[in-house]
Amino acid sequence: MRVPYLHKADIEAAANELLMSYHYKFGMEEAPPVPVEEILESLLGLALEFGDLDALLNKKGVLGATWVNERRVVINEMLDPTEDPSVEGRYRFTLAHELGHWQLHRHLSFGEDGQTILCRSKSKKDPMEWQADCFAGYLLMPKKDVIRSWEEVFGTHEPYDASDELYNMQSRFDEAGEASEAGLVVDLARDLAEVFQVSGLAMQIRLVDMGLLKLR
Amino acid sequence: MPGNPQFGMFIRSMREEKKKRDPAYSLRKFAEAAGISATFMSKVENGEFDPPAPDKIKKMAELLEVNSDELLAMAGKVDPDLSGIIRDQPRAMADFLRTARDLNLGRKEIEALTDKLRAERGLDPSEE
Repeated sequence: MRVPYLHKADIEAAANELLMSYHYKFGMEEAPPVPVEEILESLLGLALEFGDLDALLNKKGVLGATWVNERRVVINEMLDPTEDPSVEGRYRFTLAHELGHWQLHRHLSFGEDGQTILCRSKSKKDPMEWQADCFAGYLLMPKKDVIRSWEEVFGTHEPYDASDELYNMQSRFDEAGEASEAGLVVDLARDLAEVFQVSGLAMQIRLVDMGLLKLR
Repeated sequence: MPGNPQFGMFIRSMREEKKKRDPAYSLRKFAEAAGISATFMSKVENGEFDPPAPDKIKKMAELLEVNSDELLAMAGKVDPDLSGIIRDQPRAMADFLRTARDLNLGRKEIEALTDKLRAERGLDPSEE
C-alpha cells in the first residue's frame, strides 16, 4: 500500500488542530500534560481497551492496535499505567501514536483484513509508523507549551548545548559495558519530560527537533 | 475467571454514553474512581473478568447514576448490608421476604407497601 508523503509541518498542523478541537469542545486548562485519553475517548468517541495483544494477535511486541471499522483502540496491558506507573510515558506515547494513525491514515485501506493497524516497537522504518510517531511527538509536546516551559525553567530562549554532558554519559556507559544510545537522556530533557508526562527520550528528541537542545 | 458479558456490556454502554459529554468517564478515570486498574476495568467490560467486589460496583452505580441494587443484581450479587439486615432479625425478616414471594407481590405492590410504611413513620418516600 502506498502511504502518501506528508511533510513534518503537515503532521504538526494535524496534531495542533486535534488538540485545538478538544479545547474548543471541552474547554479545560490548556497546560501540559495533553489529555490524550480524553481526546481519544471523548472527542473522537473511540473505544479504548487494555488487552493481552501478544495472545490476541498471536504476535510478540505489539504495543497498540487500531481497528478502524470498529472504532476501537487496544493498548498492550503491559503499558497500563494504573498497574505500573513507570510506563506512563510509553503508554501516553503509544496512545498518541494510535491517534496519529486515526487522524492521518484511517481513510487508507491496509492490513491483512483491510482495517487493522498494528504498531510494533520494531517497525519504526515503515513510513506510516514514522508519521504516527512524528504526530505523537507534536501532539504530546506542542511547540508553544515546550517554549513556555523552557522559558520558565531557564528564563531564556537560548538553546542549551549538552554535547559535553552527553559525551560524559556516553563514556560512563561505555565503561559500565551497557552502552545504549537510546537510553542516553540528558537531565534537562528528563526534567521537562515530567511536565509533559512523556519519556525522557521522547522529550529529548522533541527538544533537538526544535533546536533548543544541541547534542553534538 | 469466567466473566459476565451482560454486566460488562451494560457498564461500557452507560460509560460510553456519558464519556461523549464528560471526559471524566474515560476508561482510566472511571476505573480509578471505582478503585480498580484500567486493565481490570477493560476486561470486566469485555466480559473476560467477573465483576469486581460489591463496594466497587456500588461506586460504579453512583458514577453512572443507576440503581446500585439493580447493578449488583446484574453482577449476581446483593448489597452486603442486606445480609446484615436479615442476620439481625433472621426469623421475622426472612418470613417477611418469603411471604412477599409466596404472595407473588409485584414491584408496584411492594413499592406501595414501602411507601405506606415510610409515610406512617414520617419518613420521606423511597428514591424510586
